[in-house]
Formats: sequence, structure tokens, C-alpha cells
Amino acid sequence: MSSDELFLQEVVAALDRVGLEAIVVGTVAGVLNGAPVMTQDLDLLVRDTPRNREKIAKLSAALRIAAPVEVSELSRALTLLGGALPIDILFDALPGGLSFEALRSRSSRVQIGDSAATVAALADVIASKEAAGRPKDLAQLPILRDTQRIRGALKGGTST
Amino acid sequence: MDRLAEAERLRVAVLEARQRIAPLVPDIDPGDLLLILQSLLRPIGTGRRFFLRKRDSGGYVF
Repeated sequence: MSSDELFLQEVVAALDRVGLEAIVVGTVAGVLNGAPVMTQDLDLLVRDTPRNREKIAKLSAALRIAAPVEVSELSRALTLLGGALPIDILFDALPGGLSFEALRSRSSRVQIGDSAATVAALADVIASKEAAGRPKDLAQLPILRDTQRIRGALKGGTST
Repeated sequence: MDRLAEAERLRVAVLEARQRIAPLVPDIDPGDLLLILQSLLRPIGTGRRFFLRKRDSGGYVF
């Protein structure tokens, strides 16, 4: 395993240990769906409940990193700093009106070492980046869309 | 499976997949097609790297 895969394995195992249900979203979900893209952080989507807020604090402790901090005053999102890479915690929905429940219903389980991650579908990764519309999201769209088409072709479906 | 055998298995799988699907996606750049197929067909846990780390100098390492 590479250091990146080991980092993911460690995070997924820690999610299991603290019992926090999370969906891997964003670029890492694209990677886990086979896209050749890179990123600087890991994005997780969870439901915003008091119990999950406690579990997020436990997750920091389990990973031996700093307590969660708010990304900005305008957002509920949290970030966990001090680990090998930042982990962003997003709540309830992604841009494009993609709710936690809808994303989970279309997600897949990806084995990473001894644990399995719940990973957003590539179509949802694309939809969330289209809706977010930031330059760094838009820049990844061509390769994500091509990956989606090639996945479809490999499965014998349409390529468009 | 050792690293060389794994690399050879991936090479064969990528070339077979390219032969099968290249006609279905003629507008995709051939280099991108190979890159995507390699990424799609290489399992997680076999040494993939996908995080960029910024150095103090401002450069990136992965």
C-alpha cells in the first residue's frame, strides 16, 4: 500500500471504531471510483446530529489529531487538522441538492485494507462539482466525465 | 503477487480493455484513455497515490 492508501485505511478504520457513518465524497470519491485525479484533502459527508458531533470529536482523538475547527463562520463544515492530510467534514448535503440519504442510496462499498468505505457514486461526484462551480471543481470535470463514460463502456453500457 | 507480476497483469488488462472500448469512445484522447483505464483497473491497495502535499517552498509533492 502507498502512504495515501494507508492514510485512507486508517481513517476508515477510525470511522468504524467510533461508529460514525460517513460517505466519502469529493475528489477522493472520484479516485475510489477509478478517476485519475489528485487532491489535497479528504471530504466526508455525515448527518448533523448531536451524537455525530460527539463522534467527530472521538474521531479526532482516534486519529490522534487536533479537535475539529470550523472552516468559516459562514459554513457548518469542520476540518480536522494535524494529521497526514486535512479531513473536511461536511454536513447533510452537497451542492446540487444532494442529500446524505440520496448519496448513500447510490453509494458503493470500497474495501480499503480491513475496512470498507462508503463511497459516493461518480455521477454524484460530478453533479456536486458542477453545482459547486469553483474553478478547482470545474477543472476536474472533463477527466471525471471521461472516466464515467469509460466505466460505462467497460460495463457494456452506453459510452455517453 | 510480486510487483513485477502485478504490473504485467495491469498492462495486459489495460491493453485488452483499450482494444475493446476505444472504438466506443473515439473522441477521448488516447493518452487519457490509457491513463483512465490504468486508474480504473488498478485496485486500491496496490500502491496508488492521489494526495498532493504542499511543501513549505510552495511546490507540491505526491
